[in-house]
Amino acid sequence: MIVKTSPEIGGLGHSVKRKEDLRLIQGKGNFVDDVRLPGMVYGHVVRSPFAHARLKGIDIANALKTPGVMAVITGEDLAKAGLAWMPTLFHDKQMVLATGKVLFQAQEVAFVVAEDRYSAADGAEAVEVDYEELPVLVDPHRSLDPDAPILREDREEKSNHIFHWEVGGREETEREFQQAPVKARVDAVFQRCHPAPLETCGCVADFNPATGKLTVWLTSQAPHAHRTLFAIVGGIPENNIRVISPDIGGGFGNKVPIYPGYVCAVVASLKLGRPVKWIETRSENLQSTGFARDYHMTAEIAADRDGKVKALRVKTLADHGAFNAAAQPSKFPAGLFSVCTGSYDFEKAFCEVDGVYTNKAPGGIAYRCSFRVTEAAYLIERAMDVLAHELKADPAELRLKNFIPADKFPYQSPLGWSYDSGNYAGAMHRALEMAGYRELRQEQAARRAHGELMGIGISSFTEIVGAGPAHTFDIAGIKMFDSCEIRVHPTGKAIARFGTKSQGQGHETAFGQIVAQELGIPVADITVEEGDTDTAPYGLGTYASRSTPTAGAAGAMAARKIRDKAKKIAAYLLEASEEDLEWEPGKFSVKGVPGKAKTIQEIAFAAYTNIPPGLEAGLEAVHYYDPPNLTFPFGTYICVVDIDKGTGEVKVRRFVAVDDCGNIINPMIVEGQIHGGLTEGLAIAFMQLISYDENGNVQGGNFMDYLVPTAVETPHWETDKTCTPSPHHPFGAKGVGESPNVGSPAAFVNAVVDALAHLGVTHIDMPVTPWKVWRILKEKGVVN
Amino acid sequence: MAVRIEKKFQVKEAIDQAWTLLRDPRNVAGCIPGAQITEAVDEQTFHGIVSVKVGPALANYKGELHVDRRDDAAHEIEFTGKGLDVKGRGSASMKMTGRLSSLPEGGTEVATVAEVNVVGILAQFGGRMINDVSDVMFKEFVKRFEEKLREDPAAPGTPEAAAPADGIKIVSAAMKGAIRRMVHGMPEESQ
Amino acid sequence: MAQKLQVHVKLNGREQSAEIEPRLLLVHLIRDVLGLTGTHVGCDTSNCGACTVLLDGRPIKSCTCFAVQADGHEILTIEGMMRDGQLHPLQQGFHEEHGLQCGFCTPGMILSAYALLQHNPSPSEEEIRWGISGNLCRCTGYQNIVCAIQNAAGKMRQKEAAA
Repeated sequence: MIVKTSPEIGGLGHSVKRKEDLRLIQGKGNFVDDVRLPGMVYGHVVRSPFAHARLKGIDIANALKTPGVMAVITGEDLAKAGLAWMPTLFHDKQMVLATGKVLFQAQEVAFVVAEDRYSAADGAEAVEVDYEELPVLVDPHRSLDPDAPILREDREEKSNHIFHWEVGGREETEREFQQAPVKARVDAVFQRCHPAPLETCGCVADFNPATGKLTVWLTSQAPHAHRTLFAIVGGIPENNIRVISPDIGGGFGNKVPIYPGYVCAVVASLKLGRPVKWIETRSENLQSTGFARDYHMTAEIAADRDGKVKALRVKTLADHGAFNAAAQPSKFPAGLFSVCTGSYDFEKAFCEVDGVYTNKAPGGIAYRCSFRVTEAAYLIERAMDVLAHELKADPAELRLKNFIPADKFPYQSPLGWSYDSGNYAGAMHRALEMAGYRELRQEQAARRAHGELMGIGISSFTEIVGAGPAHTFDIAGIKMFDSCEIRVHPTGKAIARFGTKSQGQGHETAFGQIVAQELGIPVADITVEEGDTDTAPYGLGTYASRSTPTAGAAGAMAARKIRDKAKKIAAYLLEASEEDLEWEPGKFSVKGVPGKAKTIQEIAFAAYTNIPPGLEAGLEAVHYYDPPNLTFPFGTYICVVDIDKGTGEVKVRRFVAVDDCGNIINPMIVEGQIHGGLTEGLAIAFMQLISYDENGNVQGGNFMDYLVPTAVETPHWETDKTCTPSPHHPFGAKGVGESPNVGSPAAFVNAVVDALAHLGVTHIDMPVTPWKVWRILKEKGVVN
Repeated sequence: MAVRIEKKFQVKEAIDQAWTLLRDPRNVAGCIPGAQITEAVDEQTFHGIVSVKVGPALANYKGELHVDRRDDAAHEIEFTGKGLDVKGRGSASMKMTGRLSSLPEGGTEVATVAEVNVVGILAQFGGRMINDVSDVMFKEFVKRFEEKLREDPAAPGTPEAAAPADGIKIVSAAMKGAIRRMVHGMPEESQ
Repeated sequence: MAQKLQVHVKLNGREQSAEIEPRLLLVHLIRDVLGLTGTHVGCDTSNCGACTVLLDGRPIKSCTCFAVQADGHEILTIEGMMRDGQLHPLQQGFHEEHGLQCGFCTPGMILSAYALLQHNPSPSEEEIRWGISGNLCRCTGYQNIVCAIQNAAGKMRQKEAAA
């Protein structure tokens, strides 16, 4: 039970206006490219135009003669220091600068350092590289063909197969399928797309030869993990490295990996003894940094004639590009994809995933999702609609029939997850009510009779976030706990530092609210810091909606430790025993004696000036939180579309989003997150694609081709919530930042397919462009 | 990215005159803006360069041209060209067929079909530009071909230093073409 | 290397000059040479609008303008929005309506909104969305940005009426 604090204290549930706004609205943020240091020089990466080629030689003579150029680093130089290759976050390695061959277009081949940005670019133009083209592999379905070119000569096993992973019961699921009267199948591709935060990746690497300390300002969502990796890979003592993630202009998973540009900047700084800035361009960002998705999936559902689902069978091909640089927990090659049974009560399930290499940029995880959950949620929500179509059933009714019932939680899924809590029917009913579902169906029938194309799409997704418990979760070996350190000053103000790193999620405000809730100190009196590895306690960072479930929890636990000590001090000051004290946010009072109380501010002052004997001075605590389980936010989204027959353009008329993320810290911030995530889902569903032609040329490598919705394409979002707290989280919260991006693509696609279902359409792959829709209309004879 | 380009144009000169010019790759290269044959390895194989200048940046494709088939009776020539950018910016290849036919009212029709493949950074933008850029380059080719026919159709082509094709001029002309098409909805006519 | 040229600009009301290469982009003049880093770079194809500033009162993408083109002209950046130590109603509006999350698009967005409201003090929601369609945002989904601009427009109209 959350006690609501006063607005002045601003604890949980208050829509406190954000502290971080003040500097950002004045243009006084401190983003990595804003960092200017004396003597700073600039780096520029030379990149391969070929998707697959032998590197015969690099001639840097003319580059070195270019005015302003100070150094050119090649793969050969790095190889001498054992740095030409670096480990990825997932059991693989990738080239920092190419040696021997290049494996994707835009791969890093050399690094030019110069006095200023423009000279560095001039120098890069002057680098001459000799390539010998090799046959290119861009179709993941061909990666395992016997005559496919083998891409990774560095691996012992000469194959393009990275991994096979399976979970669930293959045989028992097979038996269900054999006896099931109804079967539905969908082949769905979740296309390669890219998070494209508005700020690209970059760093300023500053090695000070006088002190031996390396400071790196870095666009990093996980500064501590990056520091440790720099130490291990670079052989620099970890106490001599400081990573500072200042203001970050959006991450969405794009800023979790370590990129070659960072390593080159560090090497250049070590070599030159000067700060080296490297900021990639947008084209470089889209063409070489952590992409998302590229999952080629098949789902089959076995059901009985009433529409009760029995079994789920899933097979997926994962295209990881040239190196497996997926950023995900080490025991899960397909991330948390096995949550693909979704919100439904399947008895049996089986899921297998195969990962392959292709001549494309490496990676495979990012874009505002909990590891592969977007793919899983999209797949099951599309499959349920295909089943509904098969059974001629209403998609809402079919889902309600199959939801995991509210009394079955904690729920053991057939693929091994223990869902903490859920009330799927509750969210669904709220959404149906908000949308006016019955009336919409009537309207659709009427319009259809007139030849108009209107569609209603539903998505009732379950997320799985908050990675994660130490017994199962680690990234590159580091367990996925998170942390908080709080210190209360003599005058009752406080500072709280966390191991996470906000890139716009508002931690400076929201995490202060957690402490305010627990200690009753006004949120305005609490400073929240993240991102400086010299001061913040160790954490695994912010991505996969993990911050509130892990670091937020750590904040509450640390604050409770402080409250325990405060109680001792209060007892001393009030000359009472601890058992006689009762707490309300902001003060301890003696039971039954009104007026005999001490505020947290008085207690804080006493902690430095009137310390109880036997107790240490000060009022602070640190907590490293190992979550006992993941959390499972969920929701139902309903999308209404109208299709323009002349152009194939899909207009989103309405979008209703009911989210349940348990107890909410700041409703204003949560609502903002929902708006943003739904907009990214809209982008993915209708306009985003990074594809490669048969020569490995990347299409969609700049903002002319890779589309981001503007205010004009973005519809008005109608949001609401239900609240099903997490039973295992210190204040019942679940996290929510990514839910809208996880749940919405299926809602959009289901709506479009629904609009065309009467023509026999059962599936359309994303992005659902006007051209695709128009072609279908032509094919079906709807237009000439 | 493979693009197929088909072009036809007509000249006043008789078919034999036109064929003398067309059958020798050195002449053909001489008509392509920025191209030059540097060496004749044998009757079928030539080394050459194509320079394209876009603003201050110069790209030099160096490569090989091979005459795959030459039919003097049918007035048909087929050749393949492949070049690698000397600085490592990418590559381009082309397979082209040229055929002449006599026109009833006199003169000759020249028909070309080319399959062009571009790899590299240009190909990322190239999809939208290749057709338009090749249209403009082709117009220039036709102009030079006609000039050459008028000068001294019998003389074999001599390799002359070719000024680099001015990419900016070509790109702006191509853009104008694209814009005109968008506005008027009609394709540019080739002369 | 080309010869350097002198440029003179009036930046946020103050005369500034610098010696620069002719190819220097205006956004780099503002950020790197004159030290105002509130204007951001978000792309390299003139699509995102993060670099929006006002040139003689008109919104332009400073990444697609050479510094020499701004010689003799007036530039307004986000740093010039505060007057007499007071936040501009647009800045207030963005704060009150939660119109920013990571803050990277915000300076450009505010400048575009400022230009819009100069032109059209009472824009409809549709007009606002068109007015900021040259500014991309990845975080907010634009809904609260629209509210922020409506909030500011209301306050500015009130101030006008009171004046």
